[in-house]
Amino acid sequence: MEPVILDNINIEIKEKELLKILGNMGRAESWKGKGIEEKIASVLELASKLIEPKGIYVIAEGRSLGGTDIFDSLEKIAFSICTIGEKLEMKVNALSREGSMLEAVLLDSAGSVAVEETADYIENRIGEIAAGEREKVSPRASPGYGEWKIANQKNLFELLPADRVGVTLGNSMMMSPQKSISFAIHISESPVRLRGKKFLKKL
Amino acid sequence: MMQFYEKCRKAVIEGDSDLALKLATEAIDKNKPVLDVIEKGFVKGIEEVGRLWEDGTFFLPELVMGAEAVKKALSLLNPILSDQQTKGFEKGKVVIGTVEGDIHDIGKTLVATMLSASGFEVYDLGYDVGVDSFIEGADKWGVNCIASSALLTTTMQKQRGIIEKLKEQGIRNKYTVIVGGAPCSRKWADEIGADGYAKDAVSAVALVGKLISGD
Repeated sequence: MEPVILDNINIEIKEKELLKILGNMGRAESWKGKGIEEKIASVLELASKLIEPKGIYVIAEGRSLGGTDIFDSLEKIAFSICTIGEKLEMKVNALSREGSMLEAVLLDSAGSVAVEETADYIENRIGEIAAGEREKVSPRASPGYGEWKIANQKNLFELLPADRVGVTLGNSMMMSPQKSISFAIHISESPVRLRGKKFLKKL
Repeated sequence: MMQFYEKCRKAVIEGDSDLALKLATEAIDKNKPVLDVIEKGFVKGIEEVGRLWEDGTFFLPELVMGAEAVKKALSLLNPILSDQQTKGFEKGKVVIGTVEGDIHDIGKTLVATMLSASGFEVYDLGYDVGVDSFIEGADKWGVNCIASSALLTTTMQKQRGIIEKLKEQGIRNKYTVIVGGAPCSRKWADEIGADGYAKDAVSAVALVGKLISGD
């Protein structure tokens, strides 16, 4: 199939997820009354104006990804790259330069939540497509985890024209904008987990 | 006087930058001993914030607010110390940056902020910093410690590059070198011959203090 572009993905940055990423998982409420709740609310509002969630994916044979043979035995796999764009990280950098560390840290964390939610959206979309064909999907896995080498990121960018959603790859295999995620999802009647050291043995 | 120090300490624990600034102004106006105000008040506060964060009582915004409160106070108090040519507060000098090819900035900046708030003189080179720039900065500012951050397995090799370059120039022993960032570990620090590894901003403060003082 041809790569599919998903533009203007509608996501909501959940406060609960933001608190979790900031290390607040149902802890004592020492933080309340210090103005943090108000800061979080205003940062969430700002973040929602700055993010531009979008992504691209393709459903292909595992061997269509060059540079590695780890997916070769998989008949159907989705490869995807998604992002929230660069506006949010530009604002984070500006805040950091101004010395507004709290706002910078909160906004950066909101961006991390947003890009995960963008990936979740695409993962769900692929899950729906699979369900339509009575197939299931594995959880998503990214280069740099388990057996999937980070260097293989460049092959993923050869397979997917990620520049069409504004994502480019640097020499160090770092994506720009930073708040971008690349991943694969196995589609099958009995999908295998694509992460973890032992995943190759399961194939 | 102890009551005043306690107020300074509490302002930091509460993350109240406005109060910290007000107390710093009061200390100057009333000719209080500035060095003691810093060491027995504000720095004690940030040490407590670090402890509360490490034991899980505080979460990240509270840590940042505490550091910001101290920085605000120090922005007024440090120039007074310089005017008085008072020695004894500076714990040491650190040059810090994210290595070349890596543009992750926020974690490194947080480490720099915590180090500043804890009494270190910090020179932040930013991100995508070449090996030579770390070494030139260290020489220019006469630092004790070079701290580098890398967030990718591909860029962490540059941390090895800093050590190799220092060795090549015969100045490895001149500096304490520490590393940090998501893919780093104590094992990685040992492998490349760094002096230490810090997993977060609070442990970086403790590590740099320990390595510089030689305790």
